[in-house]
Amino acid sequence: MIWGRLFRLPWRTSRQISRDVDEELGFHLDMRIEALVATGLTPADARVRALREFGDLEDARRYIGAVDRDIEASQRRNDYMRDLWQDLGYAVRKLGAAPAFTLAAIATLALGIGANTAIFSIVNGVLLREPAFPQADHLVRVLYSQQGHPDVSTPMDIVDDRTHATKFVGFSIIEGMTANLVRDGADAERIPGVRVGANWFSLLRVTPLAGRFFADGEDQTGAAKVAVISEALWRRDFAASPSVVGKLVRINSTPYTIVGVAARDNGYPFSAELWIPKVFTPGELNDQSRGARWLSMLARVRDDVAVSVANKDIEQVSALMETKFPEVFRERRAHLATVQAFTVGDVRKPLLIMLGAVAFVLLIACANVANLLLVRATARESEMAVRTALGAGRGRLVRQLMTESVLLSLCGATVGLAIAKVGMTALLSRAPQSVLLMTRASIDATTLAVTALIAVVTGVAFGLLPALQVAKNDLTSALRAGAGGVRSRPSANRTKRLIVVGEIALAVTLLTGAGLLLHSFTKLLSVDPGFKPEGALSLKLALPPRTYDSTRTRAFVAALEARARALPGARLVGISNMIPLDGSSYGFTFVIRGRPQPRSSDESSAEVRVVTPDFFSAMGTPVLQGRAITLADRPGTAEGIVINKAFADRFFPKDNPLDQALALGWGEDTGRVMRPIIGVVADMHATALAEAPEPTVYLSMAQHPMTSLSIVVRADGDPASLGSGLRSIVRDLDREVPVYSLQTMSERVAGSLGRERFFATLIAVFAAVALLLSAVGLYGVIAYAVTQRTRELGVRVALGASASRISRMVIGEGFALTAAGLAVGIAGAASVSKLLSTFLFGVSGTDGLTLLGVVGTLLVVAVLASWLPARRAARVDPLVAMRGD
Amino acid sequence: MELLQGTLDVLVLRTLAWEPMHGYAVSRSIHQRTEGVLEIEDAPLYKALHRLERAGFVAAEWGVSENKRRARYYSLTPAGRRQLKAEETAWRRYAEAVFKVLEPV
Repeated sequence: MIWGRLFRLPWRTSRQISRDVDEELGFHLDMRIEALVATGLTPADARVRALREFGDLEDARRYIGAVDRDIEASQRRNDYMRDLWQDLGYAVRKLGAAPAFTLAAIATLALGIGANTAIFSIVNGVLLREPAFPQADHLVRVLYSQQGHPDVSTPMDIVDDRTHATKFVGFSIIEGMTANLVRDGADAERIPGVRVGANWFSLLRVTPLAGRFFADGEDQTGAAKVAVISEALWRRDFAASPSVVGKLVRINSTPYTIVGVAARDNGYPFSAELWIPKVFTPGELNDQSRGARWLSMLARVRDDVAVSVANKDIEQVSALMETKFPEVFRERRAHLATVQAFTVGDVRKPLLIMLGAVAFVLLIACANVANLLLVRATARESEMAVRTALGAGRGRLVRQLMTESVLLSLCGATVGLAIAKVGMTALLSRAPQSVLLMTRASIDATTLAVTALIAVVTGVAFGLLPALQVAKNDLTSALRAGAGGVRSRPSANRTKRLIVVGEIALAVTLLTGAGLLLHSFTKLLSVDPGFKPEGALSLKLALPPRTYDSTRTRAFVAALEARARALPGARLVGISNMIPLDGSSYGFTFVIRGRPQPRSSDESSAEVRVVTPDFFSAMGTPVLQGRAITLADRPGTAEGIVINKAFADRFFPKDNPLDQALALGWGEDTGRVMRPIIGVVADMHATALAEAPEPTVYLSMAQHPMTSLSIVVRADGDPASLGSGLRSIVRDLDREVPVYSLQTMSERVAGSLGRERFFATLIAVFAAVALLLSAVGLYGVIAYAVTQRTRELGVRVALGASASRISRMVIGEGFALTAAGLAVGIAGAASVSKLLSTFLFGVSGTDGLTLLGVVGTLLVVAVLASWLPARRAARVDPLVAMRGD
Repeated sequence: MELLQGTLDVLVLRTLAWEPMHGYAVSRSIHQRTEGVLEIEDAPLYKALHRLERAGFVAAEWGVSENKRRARYYSLTPAGRRQLKAEETAWRRYAEAVFKVLEPV
C-alpha cells in the first residue's frame, strides 16, 4: 500500500484545525463519560472523573493544534513540490514527444534571450556600473561652452573657480599628452598620459597600489619631477615589481622618478597609463592668457551638496567672469557632467537604442513561440478535456501549461547564454575605440540574474495566452470534437493572426531603423575623404621636444624622408604634423590682410598643418589652384601659405584667394607676419568623414619643423609590406623615438567609421533576425490555416476552383496580414526614425528609398512565406479532403 | 507508577500495530493491557499521537466509530512499523540489562 495521500485533501484553515481538535477530544470525553455512566456513576460525576483522567485539557488542545498546523504546512509544501515535479516530468515528456516544436521554440527563444543578454551585459558594463571611486557621483568634469559651442579651459579658469566657487572640495586641471617613455634597456614607448594637479588622486579619493601619489606642492615650479604609472603599465613594463617605486625613467626626454602605481580601477582618465604633475609657468597664469585654452578640468563636489546645486554655483562663477572679462569670455558658461556621464556620453544613446532593438527581437521571438503554443494548444484540446474530466482544475491546467512554457524559456535562456558569450566576444572585437569602456563588460552575476528574470517573464508572457485559451475550453464540446481531430475556434485564429500582425509591425520598425542606419552608412562610405586612401601607408612618431631643436628636427625629417623614399616599393613620401581622420584638432586664429581686426571672441580659426613638398601628392590630394609647398619653401625664403577649398569658399567666396595674405596666431611670429596665399588644395576630412572639412592652412615643414610627425608613403604594391622597413628606419635614426599608429590609409578611413559601422552592423543583424522570425511566424500561421481548411479547399476544387485561384487565395491571406503589419509598423517606424535622426548622415528620418526597401523586403518575404502553404493548398485532392474526417 | 520518559510513544505504536483505531480506543487498550499499573493521563497520550503523526510514524484519517460518530482513526505507517521494531529491541535490551543486575545471582 502506498502511504501518503492519493488524492489531495482540501487544505485546512487554522480555524478548521481547531475545530477538528475539539471534535476529536470531545469524542474521547463523550465516550469515556458514556462508559462511566454505564458502570453506575451519575453523568455529573462521570464527567468530573473523565476530565481528571484526561489531565490538562487546555494544554493538550494548544499543543495538538500547533502540531497539526505544522503538519498542514509541510503537507502544503509537499503537495506543491509534488505538483511541480509532476508538472515538470509531464512537461519534459510532452516536449520530448514533439522534438520539432521543442527545438524550434528553444532556438527561437535562445536567439531572443541570447541577444538580450549580450547587449544587456554591455549596457551593464558601460552604463550602469559606476566608476570605482568613492562617492563617484560627486566627481565631475567642468565643461565650458562659448556662444553655444563647446569650449575648453584656460589655466585661469581653475584660479577663478577656486576663488569664487563654494560648493566644491577642489579642482584640478587635466592636460592630455602622449608620452615618450624611455627606460633602461628598452625601445622607446609611446603611452597615453595626462598632466594633472597635485591634488588629483585625493580628489579621486583613491589609495595607491604601491608607493605613493602626489604630495602637495609637487605641481609647483622647482618641485622634484615625479610620476605615477598605471597598474597595466606596471605589469607590462616592470613585471609588477614593487621596486618600481623610486625608479628613474625618461618621459619626453626629462628624467622623472616613479613614486607610485594606480590600481586598474583607480586611474582616471580610464585610458591613461601615466600621470605627472602639471606645472604652470607664470606666463600662463595671468589675465592676458585667458584666450589660450587647451585644458580640461576635474572637480569634486562637496559631499553635502547636490551636483545640481554645484552646477548652479559654477555657472554663476562663469557669469561673473564674463562681466569681468567681457571681451574674451563673451557668452562663456560652465556646467558640470559627472565623470560617469562624461565618459559614456557618446555611446549612451546608441547603446540604449540597441537595447530597445533587442527587446523587439525578444518580443518577436515570444510572439512566435506563443503562436506555436496556440497551434499546439488546439491540437491538445482533447487531452486537456480528458484531464479536466479526470478532475484537474482549471488553475491546475494553467499551471501545468505555464510550467511547460517556463521550462521552454529556461532551456532557451541556457542556450542563449552560450550565444551571448560568443556574441559578446564577437561584438567586443569589433567595438570601436569610442566604446572603449566596453572592456568592462562581462557576463556577471547581475547579467545572469537579469537573464533568468527575462527567461521567466518571457515564459509567462508567451505561455499565458495559450494556457488561458485552453482553460476557457468547454469540456463536452471538446470531448465530442476531439474524436474528429483538429478543431479550431474562430477566436483562437484571430489571436494567432493578431500576433503575426504585431510581429510584422515590430519587424518593420526594426527594419526601418536598420535601413536608415545602413543607408546613412553607405552615404558616409561614399564621402570623398579628399585623398586617395588605397595604396598608402601611414605611421606616427613623436620627437622628444627637449632634445630636438629646429635644426635637429629639420635634419631628422629630411633623413626620414630620403630613407623612406629609398625603400623598395615606395613611390612618394610625405610628412605632416598631423594625419587626416585622426579626430584631433590644431586650430589657431588668423587675420586676413586688409580686413578689420575682429573682437577676440569673434576671431575665425583655422586648422594648421605643416607639410613637406610631397605630402599632397603622396596623399593623392589634388592642387586646385596655384601651387603646393615645394622645396623652394625653405628656411630664409619668403613664407607662402597653402589653403584648402573650405577656407577659400568660406573667406574668399568672391575674391581670388591667390591675391590674399594671412597672419596666423601661431608660431614665434604670432600675428605679425603676413603670409601670401600661394595655392589652394582639395579638402581633406581632418576629424571625421561625417564632419564638414574645417578651413585649413598648410605651411612648409622646412620653414617650421615640428616634433609631432606623421609620415605617408604611397606604395607601388601592397602598402602594408612597407611597415617593418619604415619602423627600422626610425629606429636607426633615433632609438628614443617611438613609432606608433602604423596603419594603411584605408584602415584609417575604416577605423574612423568604427562607431557607425559597429551600430549599423548590430542593428542590421537584429533586423535580419527579426525578419527571419516574423517570416517563420507568418509561414506557420498560413500553413496552419491551410491544414485547417483542407476540407473547404477540397469543396472549392470540387466546385471548379482552379489551382492558381486557390494559391492566389492563400497568398492573398498572407499579403493581407503583411499589409496590416506594414501599416502598424510604419507608424511605429516614424517615431524610431525621430530617435535615430541624430545618428543619420545625409539621410532624413523619412527617407523614401529606405521605406521603399522595407516595404519591398516585407512583401517578398510575405510571398515566400505564403508560397509553400499555397502550393500545398493548390494540390488538395477534393476526394481525399472531403473524406478526411 | 510514573511513566518513564519516552515509554508512551512505544506503547502507542505497539497498540496501533494490531489495527487502526481512534484515540479513545488506544487509551482504553493501554489501560487494559497495563492492568492499571501505569498511571497514564489522556492528555499526553493525544499529544503523543499527534507528535507521532508529525514524525510520519502514524497516519490519521476521519472515520465513523462503532456508535456512528465521527472519530479520528490512527494507523501505523511503514516508517512507524520500523520505528516500533527499533524501539522494542532497545526496550528489551534495556530491560534485560536491568534484570541482569536485579536478579539474584
